[in-house]
Amino acid sequence: MATQQSDSLITTEVSSSQTERAGKPDETVLSSTDLDVFYGDEQALEDISIEIPEHKVTAIIGPSGCGKSTFLRCLNRMNDLIPACEVEGELRFHGTDVHADGVDPVALRRKIGMVFQKPNPFPKTIYENVAYGLRVQDKEVTDEIVEEALRAAALWDEVKNKLDESGLELSGGQQQRLCIARAIAPDPEVILMDEPASALDPVATSKIEDLIAALAEEYTVVIVTHNMQQAARISDKTAVFLTGGRLVEFDDTKTVFENPAHDRVEEYITGKFG
Amino acid sequence: MAPTDYRDRLAWLNTEVVLLAELVVDRYEDALTAAATGDRWLAEAVVDGDSEINERYLELERQCTDLIALQQPVASDLRLITASFKIITDLERVGDLATNLAARTQAGQEGLHPAVGIESLGGDAAAMVEAAIEAYETADPEACRALAARDDDLDGACDRATRRIIRSLLAETDADRAAARTAASRGLLTVRDIERVGDHAVNIAARSLYMIDGDDALLY
Repeated sequence: MATQQSDSLITTEVSSSQTERAGKPDETVLSSTDLDVFYGDEQALEDISIEIPEHKVTAIIGPSGCGKSTFLRCLNRMNDLIPACEVEGELRFHGTDVHADGVDPVALRRKIGMVFQKPNPFPKTIYENVAYGLRVQDKEVTDEIVEEALRAAALWDEVKNKLDESGLELSGGQQQRLCIARAIAPDPEVILMDEPASALDPVATSKIEDLIAALAEEYTVVIVTHNMQQAARISDKTAVFLTGGRLVEFDDTKTVFENPAHDRVEEYITGKFG
Repeated sequence: MAPTDYRDRLAWLNTEVVLLAELVVDRYEDALTAAATGDRWLAEAVVDGDSEINERYLELERQCTDLIALQQPVASDLRLITASFKIITDLERVGDLATNLAARTQAGQEGLHPAVGIESLGGDAAAMVEAAIEAYETADPEACRALAARDDDLDGACDRATRRIIRSLLAETDADRAAARTAASRGLLTVRDIERVGDHAVNIAARSLYMIDGDDALLY
């Protein structure tokens, strides 16, 4: 499997189907070892070692400036786009070093999609928003694939009669689900989410949270959130980053929120520090 | 009146649980004294006092519910609230058992069956509740674990008291049998309730251990 993944990152072919993924619920998809990230002279992450399990929702929480979004962006090499950013240490996707020679970051991002804090649909029709990711990858666009992605994003019933209307006409919550559909359409393995519900009202937030739980059936989800209760509700594993860009605790979400191992984590999640 | 600040409310809850426990143990000890001496006035005071325990229990339950709903506690805060939520239920039940004992004293024409050994047996059970709540208050995991072993001793003593009552019933002559059956029945119910007080003390210790260390070893 690791060899297949390694090849696929170089050749950009998607080799594993969702069915195959569903059969391997406990494998590590992404792992980092002693990962350091610098923005110029500033160190944003220090010695991050973590194994992110397949078909689980992993939440990353921590105070502002602790490096959680930086870590998320490392996972699909989005930080490559920042000139001053320097990454040291090891980061592996299915065992393949994502910084190895020959690994195409664009191919990596096809495998590891991303949803951002603010819904950012393109000024195109709802249909074209979903189809866009397929077109830029020279993949075939079919009505079935678009419908499947919109269904997976729990948006189909709300938009099926207005697919040719602009994505910008949708509500904030619908726009975010449209962005999730756009991320799903190219059939990634991992979906990274950076505060996907922070700009939404409680009803829209609830829909996104339900959707995230459903997505974990087929995808691996890594979500950064400031909302600790959201992390507690939706994630299987929780990583707690604290000031200084350090990963202090990574465990089952139940353990982190009921009986954390570290005093600093206890103090942070109970609001005594942060 | 509960304070409004979150951390003050947690400290208040902790204190109020201890105060409720002190009230319940006082009432239970009064019920034991009333049963041992046949003091029906004291028994009546215990029965009448149960509504105060119930009201304080319901107020603490409301406070726990509000804290969970409004403050969304986690980690040690969550364990304090959920443990307290369960502990006050055990305390309220001990209050009910004190009321049962006092009500039997009120209704009884005769004194309590001597084979019960109520002051010793009931005193042990009351002391267990006190020890459990002290373990809760001082966050002492070893004291929590010690309660489980102590309950085995109480269960053994209750078992022996039960046998004594049954033996004395079998030894009664035919002429005394109806009165002896009533006294034995009352004695057996009292022993059973004392054993239950010990079980509630263990429950309190189990919840306290979970609260302190996240250790659920005593929860069964």
